[in-house]
Amino acid sequence: MAYRSDHEIVPDHEILKLKEVNTLLDGSHITIDNLPKILESDPQCKKLGAKPGHVIKIHRSDNGHSYTYYRVVIEG
Amino acid sequence: MAKEKSSDFKVEFGEPVGMIAAQSVGEPGTQMILRSFHFAGIESAIATSGLPRIVELVDAKKRPTTPLSTIYLDAKASRNIDDAEKVAAKINEVRMGTLVRRIIENFAKGTIKIALSRQELESEDMTPRQVADRLGKLLSLEVAVEGLVLTVKTHTKNLKEVRAVRVKIMRSVISGIEGAGKAIVQKNLKTGEFYIISAGSNIEGMMGIEGIDKSRIYTNDVFAIYRLFGIEAARNAIARELQLTLDEQKISVDLRHLLLIADAMTASGSVKGVGRHGLSGEKKSVFARAAYEETVKHLINAAAFGETDQMRGVTENILVGKQIPIGTGSVRLAIKKEDMSKVKP
Repeated sequence: MAYRSDHEIVPDHEILKLKEVNTLLDGSHITIDNLPKILESDPQCKKLGAKPGHVIKIHRSDNGHSYTYYRVVIEG
Repeated sequence: MAKEKSSDFKVEFGEPVGMIAAQSVGEPGTQMILRSFHFAGIESAIATSGLPRIVELVDAKKRPTTPLSTIYLDAKASRNIDDAEKVAAKINEVRMGTLVRRIIENFAKGTIKIALSRQELESEDMTPRQVADRLGKLLSLEVAVEGLVLTVKTHTKNLKEVRAVRVKIMRSVISGIEGAGKAIVQKNLKTGEFYIISAGSNIEGMMGIEGIDKSRIYTNDVFAIYRLFGIEAARNAIARELQLTLDEQKISVDLRHLLLIADAMTASGSVKGVGRHGLSGEKKSVFARAAYEETVKHLINAAAFGETDQMRGVTENILVGKQIPIGTGSVRLAIKKEDMSKVKP
């Protein structure tokens, strides 16, 4: 369900599968509520069709340094 | 080898990155000078810069004092000045107010006479007939043309209503995109590419124009970016704008400090300022909030609702004179509630 960004300022967003969410959280001391948030009404969420509770994987690149960031979808 | 070396520079556990970011931005901020720079062709667009701009960004103001957009063009229009000018004309916002030389209401007849300025019409490349047609459509009223004079029939003799129509006329957008401001074509001297800058931030409206490069449109209005492209784009825009502002003043701050600020401002899913109504005002700890601003309000509310303070932050621990949870101080002996059953007495 990856979606390629159509603007240089928007990184690629992707809905994380439930299995991947579990491995992500198991490997850390945080719960899903501790993740940064993204609103359901966010333009990128709408494009992906993400619903509250989904975790969005974001393929960021700052100054040529690539890494992933995660946001949990919340209502709003 | 390089990888090994780079890991030496990673942030250690317990390092107060937020404080370091705050100091790294705050200290050079004291050296900033109040200076403005101008854009050729847009006399009104003197971009806000320096400290006022930083404050504006960090406080997450809904609209920048001087909105500016950069609109790149598609392959065809970016090489040809005539095509570029055509696109710019579609964007350039012209309000009736700028075209009018004189406007007189006749309350007895319920008509409004408008004398157009020839000079302004010529500079916008429009005829009185075009203006009249557009105005008639916008107001759904009859507009007669005679030379440079337009006559609007309001179908009412009520003083207030005639005046209301006049105000509406002066505000109506005759051509271009509302909120786009004045748009002019610029040339990138290095690549020879033409692009447009406009003194407005309605990029939602500009996205509908043909001939623009939708993947590169940019504005200094963080909220416009947030509405159109979402929270991740807003985060990038905040960091980019902060860096641009600092670079302009020849101040070098590591990008990672700015990214941290941008991440903190966007962690809730919407863009929040750092002040009283943003991050500082939404801290969990009562003492941390009370120590910042509006002390009495926070303490009274906390007392009224029986709030508890976990004493996990820095501010509240300094307040009571305890060790602060950063660096070696951040190590605690802790156990999860659900794991308590596993503990044998």
